[in-house]
Amino acid sequence: MSTPELVRVQIDEREVHVPKGTGLIETALAAGVEIPVFCYEPRLGEPVGACRMCLVEVEGMPKLQAGCTLTAQDGMNVKTARTSQQAAEGQNATLEFILVNHPLDCPVCDKGGECPLQDLTFRYGPGNTRMSFEKLTFEKPIPISPTISLDRERCILCYRCTRFSESVSEDLQLIAANRGSASVITTFEDLPYKGAFTGNVTELCPVGALLPTQYRFEGRPWEIVDVPTVCGLCPVGCNVNATVREGKVKRILSRNHPEIDEGWICDKGRFAYTHLRAGDRLAQPLQRQRRHGLEEVSWEQALDEAERLLREARGRVVTVLSGSETVEQAYALGKLLRVGLDSHQAMLPEEVSGALDAYRLPLSAIREADVVVVLGDVPVVERAPVVDLWIRSARRNGAKIVDNTNDPAVAEAERVVLVWSGPGGRGGATVAKLAEKLGLAEREGCGAFHLQETPNGRGVADAWAACCDEEAEVADSIGLLVVSGDEAAADENVRALAEQAEATIVLSMFGGLAAGWADLILPGTGYLERDGTFVNLEGRLQRLRRTVEPPCPDELEWISQLAARFGVDVAPYAAGVFAEVSERVYGGISFGEVGERAPLRGYPDAQEHVAREPLPEPQQKPKRGEIRLVAYKPLFSGAAVERVTELQFQRPQAELELSAEDARRRKIATGDLVTVGSNGSAITLPARVNRRLRAGIARIALEHADGLAGVVEVAKADEVVSA
Amino acid sequence: MTSFYDEVQELRARYPEGTRSAILPALRLAQEKHGWLSRRALEETAEALELTPAYCYSVASFYDMLHVEPIGQHTIEVCTNVCCGLVNAQAVLDAFEQELGVGPGETTDDGEITLRAVECLGGCSTPTIVAVDHRYRQSVTPEDVPSIVADVRGG
Amino acid sequence: MAETRVEVAEGPALVLAGYDDEPLTSLAAYRAAGGYDQLEQARAQDPQAVIQELIESNLRGRGGAFFPTGRKASFIPTPDKIAKPIYITVNADESEPGTFKDREIMLKVPHRLLEGCLIAAHAIQSKQVYIYIRGEYSREYEVLQAALDEARNAGLVGGVDIVIHRGAGAYICGEETALLESLEGKRGQPRSKPPFPAISGVYAAPTLINNVESITTIPPILAVGPAEFAQIGSPPDSTGTRLFCLSGNVERPGVYEAPHGITVRHLIDDIGGGVPGGHTLKAVMMGGSSFPVMTPDDLDTPLDADSLGKKGYFIGSGVVTVIDERSCIVQFALRVAQFYMHESCGKCTPCRVGTRWLVQLMRAVEDGTASERDLDLTLDVCDRIIGKCLCVLGDSAAMPVASCVTKFRDEFRAHLEHGGCPFGGDSQLAGLFAPVDQHAHSAVPQEALV
Repeated sequence: MSTPELVRVQIDEREVHVPKGTGLIETALAAGVEIPVFCYEPRLGEPVGACRMCLVEVEGMPKLQAGCTLTAQDGMNVKTARTSQQAAEGQNATLEFILVNHPLDCPVCDKGGECPLQDLTFRYGPGNTRMSFEKLTFEKPIPISPTISLDRERCILCYRCTRFSESVSEDLQLIAANRGSASVITTFEDLPYKGAFTGNVTELCPVGALLPTQYRFEGRPWEIVDVPTVCGLCPVGCNVNATVREGKVKRILSRNHPEIDEGWICDKGRFAYTHLRAGDRLAQPLQRQRRHGLEEVSWEQALDEAERLLREARGRVVTVLSGSETVEQAYALGKLLRVGLDSHQAMLPEEVSGALDAYRLPLSAIREADVVVVLGDVPVVERAPVVDLWIRSARRNGAKIVDNTNDPAVAEAERVVLVWSGPGGRGGATVAKLAEKLGLAEREGCGAFHLQETPNGRGVADAWAACCDEEAEVADSIGLLVVSGDEAAADENVRALAEQAEATIVLSMFGGLAAGWADLILPGTGYLERDGTFVNLEGRLQRLRRTVEPPCPDELEWISQLAARFGVDVAPYAAGVFAEVSERVYGGISFGEVGERAPLRGYPDAQEHVAREPLPEPQQKPKRGEIRLVAYKPLFSGAAVERVTELQFQRPQAELELSAEDARRRKIATGDLVTVGSNGSAITLPARVNRRLRAGIARIALEHADGLAGVVEVAKADEVVSA
Repeated sequence: MTSFYDEVQELRARYPEGTRSAILPALRLAQEKHGWLSRRALEETAEALELTPAYCYSVASFYDMLHVEPIGQHTIEVCTNVCCGLVNAQAVLDAFEQELGVGPGETTDDGEITLRAVECLGGCSTPTIVAVDHRYRQSVTPEDVPSIVADVRGG
Repeated sequence: MAETRVEVAEGPALVLAGYDDEPLTSLAAYRAAGGYDQLEQARAQDPQAVIQELIESNLRGRGGAFFPTGRKASFIPTPDKIAKPIYITVNADESEPGTFKDREIMLKVPHRLLEGCLIAAHAIQSKQVYIYIRGEYSREYEVLQAALDEARNAGLVGGVDIVIHRGAGAYICGEETALLESLEGKRGQPRSKPPFPAISGVYAAPTLINNVESITTIPPILAVGPAEFAQIGSPPDSTGTRLFCLSGNVERPGVYEAPHGITVRHLIDDIGGGVPGGHTLKAVMMGGSSFPVMTPDDLDTPLDADSLGKKGYFIGSGVVTVIDERSCIVQFALRVAQFYMHESCGKCTPCRVGTRWLVQLMRAVEDGTASERDLDLTLDVCDRIIGKCLCVLGDSAAMPVASCVTKFRDEFRAHLEHGGCPFGGDSQLAGLFAPVDQHAHSAVPQEALV
């Protein structure tokens, strides 16, 4: 790659050399000069020059120019407000105009103290008002969704939010209506702003117009601490800041990892944190007493009971992992059970494979692709939301998005990226094989992603494998079932397994899930309460930070104590456990070296994984005329989301998605009631025709599928009844 | 008889594929069909264009001739800009207000006629211009008003 | 009288050539007047040669920007240099108050417009023309569409697709980039330039945008010859004839074709019959409502860009609207301010906020509640708008208002002293109801208006 041509630009009295075509705002920054902006945000596409905050004087141009719309040219001479009276006047004028209708809300506005309008007014704006007439007033705040409030009086119509809705998430729901000074930001009629990414507008908004409802009146910037950590709710692992006040998480903000999330986070990651304070959050262990049901016991008693159960089941303990444990938790638990109790059998909800290690890419590489092949029938946005944004960004950048590797565009393209979005996929082995067939290894900008279902499936599997070298022996009966994590506790298959087990210990945050069938419930922590590491779907190791103290001890603490009882040495804190794992899996880096914005390292030392029977690969191509049902786990589902009132409106409707062709053949239109059945069981629900869905596939949210799977019969409801 | 959906596809075919250019003619068509751009009208239009109702509302509400509020079967639009204003625009508007019993921006109780003041219609040398159902009447005087209204009412 | 007066006031007849009270709407009539001959000749020439002729004629845009048409065409890349299609959009969104010439062109000589389009298409090697016509022009649309169908059926379009795209009521869509946005199916909000439409216009492809009159002048230019055309009017900058729009308090308002360089007084008095009823001229809305008003002492200024420019005026879209002493100038300023507040697209801060603030200030003056300080504030607000906006609509609001306050300061002061309008309701413009006061959009409560 050739070095870009450098150009010389004069900004005020400073000279700077930048690559030709660099935006003027960045050029000024390189010279240490601020050009104030509101509407400018490179992630939203081409600059629009709407707000007029960035007015600068450019030699050779008669009028003031919007700096954000200019790029560095050789010999350019720019004067900002610092050295140009004209520019200073212009910027002052912009702020005066903005403030003409802006309400004096600072004392009651959450944005106060972290507000660009306040800051820029102090720096560039007028000190008083000359406006003596009536300001524009509106009913306020308006909930545009249960999670976002809109205050039209504060809105400065910078259009960042509408540009996000149009050109990033592409949902086209948040729009500007009317014209001129009557312009307002709104959704359609009374419909809420619904989608996976809506909350990003609250970070984009430079004033207190779009604010998270959960954070309303919750704190002032000088009362809070932002703790950097990583989201643990999906395998993307977006970098976030948890805003903490008085020991409670009050808000989640993006921390912007340019390679992973580019500053966007999904609404689940943003708004689900209140699950930490759910009503049924466990603080004390619960032990089943005969005839009394579950009763609270002390930790001392709980660990004694756990020890007893473990001893009785030596060699016959089966562990079910959720894939949301940290690497350290999985390792510690593994060491306790494999080394201490000779029980090597563990189950993950999905297969994990190291096959993709040869095709590793950062997510940001998707944008640079010529072709992105999206395989599988689970919508990317439900599995790994931010990946969906990267794919859209790639399309806007000129990439072709196709749905099979035989598309001629694939052979012609230089940069090819494959994305597998379930079901199945052998933990990445399937898409790795495709990548191999296409010869993508070693080719620049080429790679493959397998969108896992679990946030840390890879990390957990590696950790479990690394803690002991012995082979796993499959026991003929389950002496003790250890269920780790709420996802596993909520799984019906796991519950069925528990019925076969002689005893069950469950590690979970919430009491309700295992109340009916666990013998001992140990309270668990959430990802916001843990120090530890996760491995995301890129294969990137990232560092989580404890943002608040959990209401119960950290898992490592009591696992360490329990392990000691069996003569196994496990450090009671993350850094210590990580040191051991790192030796074996991560090339020996220390906990502190993992990094605030972790780079994508490979880890060649990773061993083979949890040995298990490969799941039968779901048939990919349905036969002609057949319909295969894909029941997917929606983004807005799971124990955490279920406990967040504000997110209930995002839960998926009970509906069956059908392709246009299949619908037409059955004379089904959107809204019609249909019956879906297979093997004697059937459900009835409304249909929705999705023109983008391929023929032969029908989709339904897992929670509405009622156990249906595989090839199904679909017909209009009244027809079935009459038949 | 072609459906609205099909008619919109025909409109789309006039412009390059993947563009949204058909939205203005589609909204005009929807407005003719529904009387105004109601929720239903916008949903139908969005469906036919593969866009969202919100987007259609965003575009429609920008333009003066597209109505996102109910409007009468007929419109009487009086230019009240400078050139017509210099001669007799306000007198003509007042005369319509008198004759119809509604003010500018309002619709008669029977839902028949909406009276509106509009900006320059491009007939400045023959003031006052009145657009009756978008057809121009030139050199309108207050004396012409009763017959114009009778015309509209008569169908 | 119901029909617009459309005349060739002073020769030569170029844009209106062949029109003689009988509209040249039919193909046969137009052909009989020599129509489509220039197209045939142009097609026999090299496209570059046609552009050269336009450059030589120094035809300037007749929509208001006055940019050299030939030079603009030369900016369009040739097909060998770019993989995208090349487009022409014709700006038929005529909405500048006082302007009504493009309407008459489309009603009276539609085929000449089409011939101009086809010649331009040949010159820049374009196969796609969009004529963006304002939504209010229904009859004009029908006449133009009929002419287009005739031309197409006669095999004249030569593989060029011409689509007439109707607007839906927004003055701002007459601004070239806003027109492109509207054509693309969005809200009609202007874009930043660069990139310029010649490189990235409609659908991000090279686009030539021209006003109806500019395009319609092309066949006549080729007919008389570009050098000849360049001698007419006020060479070197304001060449040829153009259609002037005379209206207001004048005896014979109408569209008049005349060469650049006739004086304002000549147009009003000699051609237009002067101010009737014994009244005296107080001001002229010169070029359109978007520019400084002209005071009587400047009536001898020739109507060419240079002469007008020296006195701080603009030729605009050829508008000359006569205002006599019966009109209150404050009401004029208020009505103009209300127009721009109504038509502001709302994208950029100074225009969106400033146009409303100017209305509030003018209303306060008219009501007599303003102070002397408010007059200075008005000038300062205008100053803070001019040159700071994304497009020229902001300037178009500020310039006329500022010119009124400056040139008629005494009349403004009289309002303050009088505690209201000294005309006491007798002014021609008294109580003029502006559309901006009747918005019915649901999201905007009444307080949002002025």
